[in-house]
Amino acid sequence: MSAPESEKQQSKVRDIPIRRVVLNDISQLPSEYSSTPGGTFFSTTPGGTRIVYDRSFLMKCRNSPLAKSPPANMLNIPGITSPAKNVEENGDAQDIKEEGDKNEKVSAEDAQFEMDI
Amino acid sequence: MNNKFDALQIEDSGEEDVGDTGFRPAPKPGPGEHPLQFNYSIWFSRRTPGNKTAAYDQSLKFIASFASVEQFWSVYSHLVRPSEMSGHSDYHLFKEGIRPMWEDDANKHGGKWIIRLKKGLASRCWENLILAMLGEQFMAVEEICGAVVSIRHQDDILSLWNRTASDTATTTRIRDTLKRVLHLPPNTIMEYKTHTDSIKDNSSFRNTDKFIR
Repeated sequence: MSAPESEKQQSKVRDIPIRRVVLNDISQLPSEYSSTPGGTFFSTTPGGTRIVYDRSFLMKCRNSPLAKSPPANMLNIPGITSPAKNVEENGDAQDIKEEGDKNEKVSAEDAQFEMDI
Repeated sequence: MNNKFDALQIEDSGEEDVGDTGFRPAPKPGPGEHPLQFNYSIWFSRRTPGNKTAAYDQSLKFIASFASVEQFWSVYSHLVRPSEMSGHSDYHLFKEGIRPMWEDDANKHGGKWIIRLKKGLASRCWENLILAMLGEQFMAVEEICGAVVSIRHQDDILSLWNRTASDTATTTRIRDTLKRVLHLPPNTIMEYKTHTDSIKDNSSFRNTDKFIR
């Protein structure tokens, strides 16, 4: 397998992109083997790109300010949906934050969760 | 940021009926958002009390579509949890473009895994199921069509729909992943039903094939 000399010269050397994450405490290590500190980032594979996220990364995104924006153009079904109305922004953000806190506690219990069917 | 959503909300004046299905495509993921492998749509259906014969597609309501992890959370956080829904209600989370119906082109050769849950487990199990689906944990990229949580009188039911019912290698892999992500105990009964059988007996959850591991 030898490519013509001209083609060989076209390929360039590039650094592998890296990102350093500093851990200050052992508790910052993810609990799952498949996770990396700082979150599992989506990656591409040759011949087919698949965007994979594990549960803990998805849960972490829940607290992102972007995730707390009112949903764009969501249907209103009384009793099912509660789209953000034109209320004071502060009050609304407060509600969502409380819900987020509650859910964090739930996820913290998940490790011990065993189902009884 | 607010301006963008204000603009999008002009149409959303709190009306339930948005003509046809009211389908609206997912917004493009904005900067800083984490794109999903597929865009998804979430739907809601409820059987009207006293009207068991009402057409399913009439009761089906499109809620929203999303294309990123952050968009998913913003929709999900504005929905009541499954166990808080009253009556005979379902959430359907499907890839954008696939309607949650047996007859849809993507579903017509497919089927679904069914897991029956005691009351009280639906909200958490539903969350685990859809996070696994959105995060592509099933290793069956093109095969997964969508997931449903069905709140019923006796028990609650999770379903995971796939495209090809005859592909036993894939359905087995999906079953094993389901057991893992839902933390199902080893002797859990898992049921599979093809959509052609559902069309024949006009039933989602009766006459299923049962598997015990």
